[in-house]
Amino acid sequence: MTQSSLHETVRIGLLTGAVAAAGILFDNAYHIQVLVFIGINTILTLGLNLLMGYTGQISLGHAAFYGIGAYTSAILTVHFQFSPWAALFPSLGLAVLVALIVGIPTLKLSGYYLAMGTLGFGMIVFIVFRELDFWTGGSSGLAGIPSLKIGSVDLMSGRNFYYLVWGAVLGTLVVSRRLIESRVGRALRSIHGSEHAAMAIGVNTQAYKLQVFVFSAFLAALAGFLYAHCIGFISPGSFDFMASVRMVTMVVIGGMASIWGALLGASLLTLLPEWLHAFADYEMIVYGLILMLVMIFLPQGLLRGLLDIYERSRNA
Amino acid sequence: MQELLQYIFSGLTNGAIYAVIALGFSILYGATRLINFAHGEFVMLGALGLITLWQGLKIPLAIALVLAVLGVALIGFLFERLAIRTVSRPEPIVLIIITVGASIFLRGVGMLVWGKDAHSAPAFFSFAPIDVMGAKLLAQSIWILVVVVALTFALHAFFKKTLVGKAMTAASISKKAAWLTGIPYEWMILLAFVLSTATGAVAGVIITPITMCSYDMGTLLGLKGFCSAMLGGLGSLWGALAGGIVLGVLESLGAGFLSSGYKDAIAFGLLLAILYIRPSGIFGAKDLHRF
Amino acid sequence: MKDPEMLDRDGEDGGAPILRICGASKAFGGVQALENVSFEVSQGMILGMIGPNGAGKTTLFNLISGLYPPDAGRIFFNEEEIQRLPTHQRVRMGIARTFQNLALFENMNVLENVMVGQHVRTRCGFWGAIARTTGVRREEAACRENALALLDMVGLVDQALKPSADLPFGWQRLLEIARALASRPRVLLLDEPASGLNALETGRLGDLILAIRNQGITIVLVEHDMSLTMSVSDRIIVLDQGRVLASGTPEEIQTHSAVRTAYLGEHCEQR
Repeated sequence: MTQSSLHETVRIGLLTGAVAAAGILFDNAYHIQVLVFIGINTILTLGLNLLMGYTGQISLGHAAFYGIGAYTSAILTVHFQFSPWAALFPSLGLAVLVALIVGIPTLKLSGYYLAMGTLGFGMIVFIVFRELDFWTGGSSGLAGIPSLKIGSVDLMSGRNFYYLVWGAVLGTLVVSRRLIESRVGRALRSIHGSEHAAMAIGVNTQAYKLQVFVFSAFLAALAGFLYAHCIGFISPGSFDFMASVRMVTMVVIGGMASIWGALLGASLLTLLPEWLHAFADYEMIVYGLILMLVMIFLPQGLLRGLLDIYERSRNA
Repeated sequence: MQELLQYIFSGLTNGAIYAVIALGFSILYGATRLINFAHGEFVMLGALGLITLWQGLKIPLAIALVLAVLGVALIGFLFERLAIRTVSRPEPIVLIIITVGASIFLRGVGMLVWGKDAHSAPAFFSFAPIDVMGAKLLAQSIWILVVVVALTFALHAFFKKTLVGKAMTAASISKKAAWLTGIPYEWMILLAFVLSTATGAVAGVIITPITMCSYDMGTLLGLKGFCSAMLGGLGSLWGALAGGIVLGVLESLGAGFLSSGYKDAIAFGLLLAILYIRPSGIFGAKDLHRF
Repeated sequence: MKDPEMLDRDGEDGGAPILRICGASKAFGGVQALENVSFEVSQGMILGMIGPNGAGKTTLFNLISGLYPPDAGRIFFNEEEIQRLPTHQRVRMGIARTFQNLALFENMNVLENVMVGQHVRTRCGFWGAIARTTGVRREEAACRENALALLDMVGLVDQALKPSADLPFGWQRLLEIARALASRPRVLLLDEPASGLNALETGRLGDLILAIRNQGITIVLVEHDMSLTMSVSDRIIVLDQGRVLASGTPEEIQTHSAVRTAYLGEHCEQR
């Protein structure tokens, strides 16, 4: 085991401890709820970061997969009386299937065309959520989504759901970490570095781009599933273009190609609306400014960028 | 027949607007190889700006039109100076995120300034609609079509006949060669941004009488404009015009005969189809790659 | 200069061509970059390819490595037709290359650049990476060892953990060669490896090229540095305006009159 991966193991251990400690310390239902949302957003951000940060392929329509995960499970449980756990696999499966079908042609595109293609895809899925009102409830949304249970234990009571979500976060972190530090991860990063050079050293760039796209869609759908069963109500507004932009912002703020940055980005942008009173009116201005300022001044992300500035000022 | 004609008329009107938006994308892409995801928001600023100047401040229409377009061009100028010029690593993924950020930012500003309600303006002139085989063709529609064709001619002349226009084309082909021949490359980029955003504002002001305008109108219009530009071949002015008209008519027929709820999906479906099948556009030449 | 042992081996193989180009043509818009180009490269030789800028040398490399297909003509590797195969399969078969304008992965450190170079010789996939089985760990460790050995060969082992973009230019060239070697190629295409190097570095590069050939790797070398090309190449091909103008041993090429006027003469005048 190398030193850096030992370091990582320690960090993941520390995070596990922090998650357990927070679960014990926070007894306010509102705080627990916020932590749950941070967890869900972290899963989303980790997935998108693998695609955007590590592989360099932008997606402006990732909320579509988040929505597919949420709606599939919601429709199966509300209309067809599936148990939520039985709905999990079709939800993830559908997202994976859609990602495969959409990904094959879309990932042949690059740069601006890829961005526009994914944006267009996201819009179409959003319109389907809105217009398929017999199943989705249209603009007014779908209510009465059952909560998750294990045996007779309702996971919505107390901190159970918090542990479930953060368990998933830790799992996703470990998996992402392993992926990045492997032959697969190096191939993905080589595509980001230079797609031509990646081909020239023998990386099947199409296949790898598709794999990581599907995996990030899988994670988005998992987050969507958790989200739907956590709040019991979903509407198309949660999966629109702005939702995709929020996900991109979380990746950007935490730093592209940074797993721990994903945690930071998701935490900051989940907490921001809670801290800033009347945030809703300024949400778009704040997100827009963050995206522009971070990309202009700290393209490595907030954490890395601020650390660099600190080191430079110390050395100066 | 009458119904069909009516759909085509309304499609032509919408298509003409998509065409103007597409022109803005094509001007910028032609000069800089960049796609501005905030382009639709400049359309919104033009539209709402005009409504405020004309209806709110009671400035005469002609002056208000000019002021609205110039004002938006000024914002385009600032945008290039502050957000695009300052980028240290101008890779596509960085510029995409910056222009997406600008789009969200401008939309947020629009919401603060004009609120969440939709606004509208009265017709610029009050001529009776023309009756063509039972279908009504609004005077406003004819006016829009005239403006669009005139604008395309003017831009075409600018790029083909004037020294500045030729210099912009040259700069887009080779930055280095342009620099060697003394073309101020950075000014050309700035000019492309100003021209492109001003064109966006023109699209905005001419739709105020025919549609409800609100802070969030830009996203859809921008995407449809982009779709039109792609249809016609990105970078081509006449292609933009043709692409806009085709999209407008298709959308109008689709909404009329199929379902109005999915109207917007038609544009996106078309966009994906073009991207997948022929990214150089229906009318554009096939892209050449050299490594 | 030439290794007698290698020449023997060359004889044993009967000079079977490992790479054969038959009538390759490629046009970009109206520009005919390559027109009906044919030649062979025998196993274990160093083939120098010279010609003025725009003669089509890089285009030819791109055709061989598969960045784009030829408009006409066929390419054989080891008597197998490859012009329709995707790039990554050709690398797997044993064709590696470097780029004229360096294409290192600047988002990775020096060691990782060479490790990723072994992509086609390692196997761990998506599930393997997640499961991280002992087999995967073993492969990872071996990959790292190999990469360090290659870095040692080009003299960069002390720089292993530096970001690749921080290396001086000449070292970046060496790193790119190490990365190409990591795929254990049978044919190595070097696109102007000496450009941007000083005289000392160019001399070392010549030794490195010969050392690589001595491992049995066939080399095609595109290079503007005449003394380097002439000293290491077994045969030389001259390309001019997309056609083969001449081919032969370095001595033959140096005395070839058409070559002298078309290329060497022009080249000498510039000096």
